[in-house]
Amino acid sequence: MSYVVIEGLHKKYGASTVLSNIDMTIEKGEFVTLLGPSGCGKSTILRIIAGLTDATSGAVKIEEKNMNNIQPKNREVGMVFQSYALFPNMTVKENVAFGLKMKKVDAKEIEQQVAETLEIVHLSDKVNAYPHELSGGQQQRVALARALIVRPKVLLLDEPLSALDAQIRKKLQVDLRSIQMKLGMTMILVTHDQEEAMAVSDRIFVMNKGEIAQQGTPTEIYTKPESEFIANFIGNYNVFTRKELEQMVGVTLPGACLKFAIRPEAIHFEASVGDLHMKGIAKESVMSGNVIRTSFEAGNRFFSVEQLHHRGYSIELGKSYESYVALEDVIELS
Amino acid sequence: MKKRGFADLFFLFLVLYLVLPILATALYAFATNWNSTVLPEGLTFKWLGTLFQDADFIQAFGRSVLLSGGAVLIGLLFIVPAIFVIVLYFPKYEKWIQMAVVMVYAFPGVILAVGLIRAYSSIGVPMILAVLGAYVVSILPYIYQGTRNSLRNVNARQLLDAAELLGASKVQAFSKVLLPAVYPGLFAGALLSFSVLFGEFVLINLVVGSRFETVQIYLMKKLSTSGHIASSVVFVYLVLMGILTFAISILTKRSKGVANT
Repeated sequence: MSYVVIEGLHKKYGASTVLSNIDMTIEKGEFVTLLGPSGCGKSTILRIIAGLTDATSGAVKIEEKNMNNIQPKNREVGMVFQSYALFPNMTVKENVAFGLKMKKVDAKEIEQQVAETLEIVHLSDKVNAYPHELSGGQQQRVALARALIVRPKVLLLDEPLSALDAQIRKKLQVDLRSIQMKLGMTMILVTHDQEEAMAVSDRIFVMNKGEIAQQGTPTEIYTKPESEFIANFIGNYNVFTRKELEQMVGVTLPGACLKFAIRPEAIHFEASVGDLHMKGIAKESVMSGNVIRTSFEAGNRFFSVEQLHHRGYSIELGKSYESYVALEDVIELS
Repeated sequence: MKKRGFADLFFLFLVLYLVLPILATALYAFATNWNSTVLPEGLTFKWLGTLFQDADFIQAFGRSVLLSGGAVLIGLLFIVPAIFVIVLYFPKYEKWIQMAVVMVYAFPGVILAVGLIRAYSSIGVPMILAVLGAYVVSILPYIYQGTRNSLRNVNARQLLDAAELLGASKVQAFSKVLLPAVYPGLFAGALLSFSVLFGEFVLINLVVGSRFETVQIYLMKKLSTSGHIASSVVFVYLVLMGILTFAISILTKRSKGVANT
């Protein structure tokens, strides 16, 4: 049986349903991400796993033990919060030592473990600083160290990086993943940032309106979106109805599904055998560093194409282009 | 430049307007004789010395500290836990506290005094206890604001959650994490309450009067006998308030620094 099992979780606040029918299994040492737009219920799942919120029905099991009636402090579940939740009147050292103190570990042992854990998060030089003397990124490292030191069975991360600026966020993503691999710890991350989810996870559960819309590895989620919601949320997919797409490419498409998705980077300008082709007028171009994204008009529809920023490569706006896409890159949506 | 000069002049005038009476009072407390000259004819510690040798003053001071301090302690003991519970676990009832806070401001002292006398004098409750009770209620706004703001600043709910997930019991989370974190704000509220009560005159004078002579009533009495002594009382009072204000500002600053985490 899996390490963490969530079965038939439902959560209602009054008349509104926040979570319905959530089933998840997570293996030991796995890094799993709950990804979804704000208000989709992903943080509520974390709070239920931690025991901070009660589920209306359903069960959370860790190592085959039902957690429903177990107090948060006895669950051996750690949590890192978006707003750090460091204890403001304690130094970094005291914050990190807190969990061990509660376990009545002896002082010498605490001293040593605090030093080791601060080493892991690269904060050995800030032992005696107070939280308000640290930057956001450093504070979140302290919060991480504080949660790691008690070696929880599962570490829950509730949008831990959302309040940080892009550069520090990227760096901490890498650190987080390497710490997780090094310690072999089971972690569940909640985020609304699909890039972050892709960068760190073994597996992603994409959530929408209180339900799991799709689960899979980052590659599976990205390359095989099952629904229009996923296609829109995960990438900048072009989504067409069957009729629209058949009009644009001028052939009848196989299968019976009603909607198709095409990744913007799957569309290219050199024909190869068997490709579908679409004609469009370049309308608008947005450059985001290494990627140029151009929007084309075909009939009264639009589709976008993403290309790497090559030297000498340019698309003139207002000009008509032939573009191509391989049939296997046309994804059927349910 | 011209505008600047006018602004400076106005500022100077304002400072004089605010500071001069205080300065003059303080100076009068040290003046030997100050009748027909611009500045005192000489300075002396005589008045201050007399004041501190007056057993009445020392006793009045003690009574003021006892009454105000007692009211603040009782207030902290009853109001703070109630606010903790309401803010953290029953936020929908917070509006009732807010209503009670406004009510405290809405009652003029005179009406309050008359009400207290009518309600309690006939049933044998010592009036000083009635005043104490009224004091406890009247500091509700300061204690409430101080406590609630600190709880907001430190994101109390999440601190408790974090502590519990690290293995603390609810009592430990409360006593080891939350209380120390909000302590500066609580203490600032308590000091503020104390200084407000210490200066209270209307209620104590009307309801109890000279039967329980506080510093304010002592001051009232001295006004008609010696201006120098009265000035000394004011001076001592101002120094005390200055110290309290300084302490409050330091604590507030500290709790704000903490809040930036």
